[in-house]
Amino acid sequence: MLYDKAFISEEDKAKGVFFEFAEVLKKAGVNLSIVEIMDMMQALPLISIAEKEIFKQTLATTLVKDYTDIPIFNQCFEEFFQRKKGNDSLLEVYTSHTNAEDFIFSQEEKSLLESLIDDFLDSHPQSFFKKSNEYLTKILIDEIQSSEAGGAIGLSLFNRRSRYASGSSDDSIQELSPQVFEAIMGLLRRRMFERNMGSAIKQREDYLLNKYIYQLKPDEIKEMRELIKRFGQKMKNRISLRKKRVKRGSIDIKRTLRRNLQYGGVPFKIFHRDRKVDRPQLVVMCDISSSVNQYSRFMLLLTYTLQSLFAKVRSFAFISNLVEITDLFREMDPERALNSIFNDTNFTYGWGSNYGNSFNQFIQNYSDALTSKTTVLILGDARNNNQDPGLDSFIKIKERSRNIYWLNPDRKHLWDWSDSIASLYIPHCTEMREVKNFLDLSHFIDTLFIQKR
Amino acid sequence: MFSSIKDTIQGLEKQKYICSKEIATTIYLALKMEKPVLVEGPAGVGKTDLGKCIAQALGYELIRLQCYEGLDEAKALYEWEYAKQLLYTQILKDKLSKILEDQATLKDAVNKLSTEEDVFFSEKFLVARPILKAITNETPSVLLIDEIDKSDSEFEAFLLEVLSDFQVTIPEIGTITANKKPFVLLTSNNAREMSDALKRRCLHLYIDYPTKELEEQIVKLKVPECGNYLIKEIINTIHEIRKLPLKKDPSISETLDWAKALALLGCEVLNRDIAIDTLNFILKYEKDIELVKKNIYTIIVH
Repeated sequence: MLYDKAFISEEDKAKGVFFEFAEVLKKAGVNLSIVEIMDMMQALPLISIAEKEIFKQTLATTLVKDYTDIPIFNQCFEEFFQRKKGNDSLLEVYTSHTNAEDFIFSQEEKSLLESLIDDFLDSHPQSFFKKSNEYLTKILIDEIQSSEAGGAIGLSLFNRRSRYASGSSDDSIQELSPQVFEAIMGLLRRRMFERNMGSAIKQREDYLLNKYIYQLKPDEIKEMRELIKRFGQKMKNRISLRKKRVKRGSIDIKRTLRRNLQYGGVPFKIFHRDRKVDRPQLVVMCDISSSVNQYSRFMLLLTYTLQSLFAKVRSFAFISNLVEITDLFREMDPERALNSIFNDTNFTYGWGSNYGNSFNQFIQNYSDALTSKTTVLILGDARNNNQDPGLDSFIKIKERSRNIYWLNPDRKHLWDWSDSIASLYIPHCTEMREVKNFLDLSHFIDTLFIQKR
Repeated sequence: MFSSIKDTIQGLEKQKYICSKEIATTIYLALKMEKPVLVEGPAGVGKTDLGKCIAQALGYELIRLQCYEGLDEAKALYEWEYAKQLLYTQILKDKLSKILEDQATLKDAVNKLSTEEDVFFSEKFLVARPILKAITNETPSVLLIDEIDKSDSEFEAFLLEVLSDFQVTIPEIGTITANKKPFVLLTSNNAREMSDALKRRCLHLYIDYPTKELEEQIVKLKVPECGNYLIKEIINTIHEIRKLPLKKDPSISETLDWAKALALLGCEVLNRDIAIDTLNFILKYEKDIELVKKNIYTIIVH
């Protein structure tokens, strides 16, 4: 942050806008270093900022290095540069001002005021700004008057009133005309908004990712899907980078000798054996009864975004019956596949979950899905509606697979409450885990890839 | 060197490469700022072609490095000619006795030896691979590092020095700095994430499927034998098809193939029957073809 300030004081004020924009991006979660910002500053003089497409691309190409961040960039860009005016001339957006304050303050006064507002915003804790705008503006004006830098502008502000207000100049100097007060408040509000824009986007994401999934509202779920796609892509990139790093194995003697024959057997070049990349095989069993179906949706969406990281994914859905849904995902995009699962009647909706029956069916019909490399994920709340738990089948599943994880959306202290029989299954699971929100789900998937063989 | 963004678009158009303002802006800036460009985007949108056409438009030499898993610095940067070096040591053995004949003691012999030129590690035995070639080239060049995402992450580290300082350090010799800074273009299909260090050194360009207008221009330029009317229909169809949830969307190169094929068949309008028969030009999966057939009535009007 410090370097921003240093530049602003030397450079022309218009450049401050760009630093501010970079700041907005940073707060929105885009990874920016000083190199990117310097590139942007180097690039801007080379182009004409009046052309929107070119201007936008210049910012994008220098600042955004991760293509998954492009939607965020677009959003920030539109809000930051377009919001001020419907007009398409960008040049105008940051060189002219149509707001009330422009009739009242001169350019110099305005920029001085803005820097004073910045100081004001910096010098108080975030919580302070929850107060009303009127109150904040009053404090701001008080501070300006008492500060040294504000002295000059303070004077000119109060003189200004004589132009607009009809009162004579020997009135108390503390009184500001309502127009001036309004204008200062407008400036303050805008600065606060600009500063918060980036963090608002990030906060929204964090909020969604951390929210209890069953508390999400329908329109939030829509938003989540986009987010999961982006998040999943990022996760995929990260995991595949990590996988590459461990690929190199021990020396491949055969190949080394053979290739070095041309040098009379002197081993100039060493060849390494590729270590087999450990791609887990996955069997996902999702309870899709109404109590957990939103979790299952997200779980399936995430596993299918990450599909290419696994050697094989087979997925099953159950309520009282178990049905394989792998093919559905193979045929259509996850979104549509999910909907067609929920429209399917094979699960006998309304009967409530029957874990026992579903495990029995799995062992009978699909035990070929299990190998010593398979990791089994079960997503459900273990509310069996007082029916046979099918423990024998469950143990068989465990014995035939490498790991068996149970993700339980219920909170831990509710695990045995009512008809939940979680503790009956716990001893036979590699782990039973509480998943509250999407972050928990993704953390769990992440850990699947760090395990030692 | 292009003189403006407009000039960039025109220069590339002369090489039959139609590019959007976004692409031109990044390329123009990269050339001006002497920075590498990392180009990402789906397969078949013309990432590699972009590099080729820039080279042609500027009259630079194109040096291409195709990345693959296991690519190492010996294939990308430089390599010692081991076999020649071996021969050299053998010559040395023969010559050695002659040179050292008149030396009385071992110490004298060593002193005498050290006055001789040491060519074992010298440029005589150095084989320049694409990157070193681009650096040492007398004329400016375009260095196209294709599909960088296929290489291992260690390989990225070798690139860093080239990308930021346009130089290569060879431990046995020293640092070789570029005579003429090459214009470096890296392409990636997003098979994996590039390291932050690499991204920081590059400008970033994401090329997506083109807009209808742009794609129409491209087809007109490359397959003029297709009538304007047919081209419009092809483009509309392709854009409708891209909206379907396919395994692999048809890329620009596939649009061009299709246009060529339809022109060869002498079509004047694109009707459903012909479209269905030729779908395999644009779709590479049986499942995708079936899906399009199922939706053909909403995609093509006649």
